[in-house]
Amino acid sequence: MSTLARIQDLAAKEFSIDPKSLDPHVQLDTLGIDSLSFIEFMFKVEEEFGVSVSDENLKGIKTLADLERHIVDALAAAGKG
Amino acid sequence: MAARRVAVTGAGVVSPLGKSLAEFHAALAEGRSGIRRLPESLAQGSGVQVGALVDWNPAPLFNEAEAVNIDRVSQFALAAAAQALAASRLDLSAADRDRIGVYWGTGMGGAHTLEGAYKHVYGAGEWRVRPLTVVMAMNNAAGSNVAVRHGLRGPFANFSTACSSSAMALGEAMRTIMAGRADAIVAGGSEALLTPGTLAAWQALRTLAPADAADPAASCKPFDKRRAGLVLGEGAAAFVLEEESRARARGAPIHALLTAYGNSCDAAHMSRPDRDGQVRAMREALIEAGLEPNAIGYINAHGTATAVGDVVEAEAINVVFGAAASDVPVSSTKSLHGHLLGGAGALEFAVALLALEKGVLAPTAFLEQPDPACRVRHVRLRAERVAPPRAVMSNSFAFGGSNVVLIAERA
Repeated sequence: MSTLARIQDLAAKEFSIDPKSLDPHVQLDTLGIDSLSFIEFMFKVEEEFGVSVSDENLKGIKTLADLERHIVDALAAAGKG
Repeated sequence: MAARRVAVTGAGVVSPLGKSLAEFHAALAEGRSGIRRLPESLAQGSGVQVGALVDWNPAPLFNEAEAVNIDRVSQFALAAAAQALAASRLDLSAADRDRIGVYWGTGMGGAHTLEGAYKHVYGAGEWRVRPLTVVMAMNNAAGSNVAVRHGLRGPFANFSTACSSSAMALGEAMRTIMAGRADAIVAGGSEALLTPGTLAAWQALRTLAPADAADPAASCKPFDKRRAGLVLGEGAAAFVLEEESRARARGAPIHALLTAYGNSCDAAHMSRPDRDGQVRAMREALIEAGLEPNAIGYINAHGTATAVGDVVEAEAINVVFGAAASDVPVSSTKSLHGHLLGGAGALEFAVALLALEKGVLAPTAFLEQPDPACRVRHVRLRAERVAPPRAVMSNSFAFGGSNVVLIAERA
């Protein structure tokens, strides 16, 4: 499963959203995902991939595609990519 | 203007004796115990042998994410509150929800969440704790979840006075409605603290009953010579309390009137109960209801089955009821559902309502050898069926010396 697909899978579970309706480029706040829910979701994403995303990078994440990019970078940096 | 009175228009229960009011009442009437040997996964090294667990599966009420993002104590609260609101037939979409509140009680709040976090930090040496830990574990989470789920924007309060928490929530909700500050309040309480660490702390108090050798379900024996302590339980109970004239105007089902609430503090000791503090709370409730003791047709005792507690409560009942004490039926149903601590007062109010509405007096189960030091008119072993009484009383006496007494009357 691709990184994005794994993230989408986690997001679908966390926010009870149909994975098919999860456009990776849609702004997460338009899906009704607030900051607290997003931080809990990020925690689970980090657990899933065994990497961490800095607070600074976290601020720039607006879509699942943004998130995927950071996870891919972090995996590469950790030599897990 | 006539005094505002408070009607009980809906009730919901999540308990070791079933997950609805009907199941709970049926088990009480049959005298069926929900006390079992604790699974090893919960008891671990605590030494605690028995408990009263809710047979709980978050689905279908909660989806996969909610099941892990809402603590067990809040799941119980949400389930009980939803039952109570449905039973009340209150149309929330048409109601002024600025005038409907939530008053809740819990002793420990999100104990599972907090213990999970500690286990992570101290047990695994892993300092990454999930971000929802604070809002899942905080004491007001259960009540707040109920308010959020139903959009109840009126007065909110959360009471944490150990074993009187949810009785206090009901009493204070009654006062708030009587004072005109709310039209209706979802009031109740929940507890879910059967975790290895919490069990160890309780075991250290040397107040928990070991498993009855012949029948673990019979481990809690209030007022019996053989009583050996309390048995911890978990669960929730919720009620819709509503200003009576509004409830009548909308044709609501009215189960009872909550008419009086006594509240006192022993101010004597953190754990040892005090007869006079209990007497003050019972008397205050009787005075508020304007009732003579002989009008009370059933008392749901606090009755935890500790050596000292049961004797003190029996003495307090005798002081307050005088000559009537030999006639008023008393039972402690903790023998069946265990001690729900912060949820106990609300759950046992549901026991009192069974007596009031149907004349079914739930028994102190397993009370085969009444302790002569606990001289009250016991309902023991099996439920009794009587003509529905005019009024019933429910006692909740807590660590910290907090005493709460509720009186309900027929509508």
